[in-house]
Amino acid sequence: MFTGLDIGGTNTDIAIIDSEIKTHKIPNTSGLSTALKKAGSSGRLVVSTSQPLNEILTGPQFNIRTITIPGPGLVYSGAIKGAVSHRGDIIEPIDTEEVKSLFKGPHPYAVAISGKFSVRNNSLEEQVCDVVSEYLDPEQIAVSSHIGALNFPARIKTTQINARIKPKVNALNNLIREVNADFFYVTSTGGLTSPDRALQNPSLLYHSSPATVANGAYYLTRNENCLVLDIGGTTTELIPIAHGKPIFEDVIIDGFKTLIKSVKTVSIPYGGDSCIRETLCPFRAGNARSFGGGEPTLTDALNVSGARIGDDDRSHVIDKKIADNIVEQYLITVSSAVKKFKPGIIIGTGYLAHYLLSEISERAKTTGIVPEHAGSANAVGAAVSRISILGYFHVDTEKKRMTMNGKEYPYYATSDDEELLAHAKNIIRDVARADGAPEEDVEDVMIQFFSSYEVVRGWKVAAKITDILLSIAPGISVEAA
Amino acid sequence: MTSGIIYDPSYLMHEQSPTHPERRERLSYTLDQLEEEGIFDIPEIKLIRPKPARRDDVLLVHSLEYLKFLEESSINGGIIDADTYVPKNLIHDALLAAGGAICAADAVVNQQVKNAFVLSRPPGHHAGRSNGAGFCYLNNIAIMTRYLQRRGLRRIMIVDWDAHHGNGTEEIFYDDPTVLFCSVHQYPFYPGSGRIEDIGIREGKGYNINLPIPAGSSDKVYRYLLEELIIPLAEEYMPDLIAISAGQDNHFSDPLTGLALTAQGYARLMQEICIIADSICYGRIIAVLEGGYSVEGGLPYTNLGLIAAMAGMDISNIREPEGYQKLLLQSVSEDAFPKVVKMVADLKEKLTSHWYFLNRSY
Ligand SMILES: [Zn+2]
Repeated sequence: MFTGLDIGGTNTDIAIIDSEIKTHKIPNTSGLSTALKKAGSSGRLVVSTSQPLNEILTGPQFNIRTITIPGPGLVYSGAIKGAVSHRGDIIEPIDTEEVKSLFKGPHPYAVAISGKFSVRNNSLEEQVCDVVSEYLDPEQIAVSSHIGALNFPARIKTTQINARIKPKVNALNNLIREVNADFFYVTSTGGLTSPDRALQNPSLLYHSSPATVANGAYYLTRNENCLVLDIGGTTTELIPIAHGKPIFEDVIIDGFKTLIKSVKTVSIPYGGDSCIRETLCPFRAGNARSFGGGEPTLTDALNVSGARIGDDDRSHVIDKKIADNIVEQYLITVSSAVKKFKPGIIIGTGYLAHYLLSEISERAKTTGIVPEHAGSANAVGAAVSRISILGYFHVDTEKKRMTMNGKEYPYYATSDDEELLAHAKNIIRDVARADGAPEEDVEDVMIQFFSSYEVVRGWKVAAKITDILLSIAPGISVEAA
Repeated sequence: MTSGIIYDPSYLMHEQSPTHPERRERLSYTLDQLEEEGIFDIPEIKLIRPKPARRDDVLLVHSLEYLKFLEESSINGGIIDADTYVPKNLIHDALLAAGGAICAADAVVNQQVKNAFVLSRPPGHHAGRSNGAGFCYLNNIAIMTRYLQRRGLRRIMIVDWDAHHGNGTEEIFYDDPTVLFCSVHQYPFYPGSGRIEDIGIREGKGYNINLPIPAGSSDKVYRYLLEELIIPLAEEYMPDLIAISAGQDNHFSDPLTGLALTAQGYARLMQEICIIADSICYGRIIAVLEGGYSVEGGLPYTNLGLIAAMAGMDISNIREPEGYQKLLLQSVSEDAFPKVVKMVADLKEKLTSHWYFLNRSY
């Protein structure tokens, strides 16, 4: 049994997949615990959390202290002593007293620790973390090596984001574990991650809904090439799918590049809860009237034009002509955006898809499908996704050192590229298995990057250095398929 | 305006033999450092992919016989000298390195970028008109210089700060007053040339300037040479562009040489040259990578420091880590500076009839 739970802006969607698919919608006002109880405790539970985490990131600023260990190179703020070389050697130790002195005044909300080349050797970051642990709790400290990619400035930014959302992820972990210990989160690329790895790199969970919807739309229709049109409460998202996969892009936050990958979408700022004030407004001012709100919204306009969504009697506060115009305005905006993709087929998801998709596809001169359970495609997508992992390996035959995302693993003596690659693949498979991935899902390990060369000293080969980036790609779990 | 970095993963391909010190990780590690510093996300930096040089670009400098020799030995391999083999397919890699310098020339002349750093391999400054030597096949900076002149630039100043004397470049421009060649190098050392007496011939007399310095020369020596000679020469010569044969084998951690420059010293050197270039030639500088073998030590952040200086970024943290301080202290020789002061005085005497600034009484 697979259960998916998507915490949205207004409601929490639940999909329970067994021999058939059952879906539920729980208003967020009744609390996450209620939704968790409804999801039950049998089988695997997958949670998509992008809404609460996005809220934190767009909300008020917290006092996050940034500590960087840049060593030689460009100038970074928050710098302390210490350096790791490009080869992963410690070429300058940290000064423990210097780290302690940072905590003489009032303590910050959380601390973000980033060391240059920490993905090749995380020990300086860990040493700083140990010192900081004397002042703060573990969930208030984020270190950068778990992010597992080169690009120090982007890793600093991503670690700051991690520090900001880590307490929330920790609280969620505790809350969900009470109900179901066998649970995962959906990441921004649509793969699953264990709660422990999510705590190490909480940014994995950022903006997961487009990926979740994409997986759900694919699972429900098996269309490999299409445009998913997800009509939500506040926005309408256009998500192109090619060869069964959405397109990924780097996330920019506050103008800074991060190391978060997310699904590329075109976002139109109108959805079912967009309020009507003379015209359709690109914001929400509460629920639709048919769901107990005060101001009429696009959903109410649809009811006035003939639909029956929620308590549709409450919607009749606007003139039929105005309502028709409002709906028309929405249809024109969305269908002209759809046309730009020239899609062969569009798949509608979200609770308004049934009412709007045929009009949109007609205007965009294409075919539209609204699958069964389209209203909970997000929760379905969460339920059926599979565990995905990205591992950055650095191997040095002279130092007899092998690290994955900066963490040291037992050294494996070989100078053969194929043998080493096979060994690294097994390590990443073991990590995925330990997280709970079934055997079939860990078979395919993708080589994202491979580079290997010999270090020569005095005309002799002194070492062989290998960098490997491996991934178990996101997608639909074999078990759910 | 932006700085260009000319680079292509193909620059990693060239390999003379599996244990030769002129090898790919010279660049891989620098690229690692640039990637880790997020250099390619910075708006001031533009990554430019090179195209191979054309045969007629090469023939602006090298003899047809020599080019044919390289082309033919690239089929089955060959030998130039004890340290320089011709591996199979060499000509493709050599043309791409020279082509990188030409792309830099185009980018600067077309004002796409203000200055550029060509991160290419194999290097070039030991290659003469009709011979290769010392890990070099085609003289990239010389080909670029002639190409720039064909595009309308008149005078080019070449500053060759590689630890080894740029004998190939010297030979090519020895009688040419349109190219001011100025080499700072460890002496005595490979290739043995580069004496202060060699100041050029015929019209080129006075336009070939060698600054031989002893092992153990530190940042202080380079700064002195810059202030005493290189900057005044540039100001009087008024070149249209300053080309730099940028060998990073003067770094104290380099295993093949005995000089003692630091990464900060390198970055400051570049910063000073940027300032002078701003005042005399619209900031036009092209640095072309030559040597630099400290792949395990300072090479990555030294190259980063040069790029940061060219892009006008803060270089105050281009420094040596604590773990290298002992090696630095061992590398610096206090005897070097007085020797260099003497050498400069002798050289100035030989050049007085060619340069006004040496005759000023103030
Ligand atoms: Zn050299």
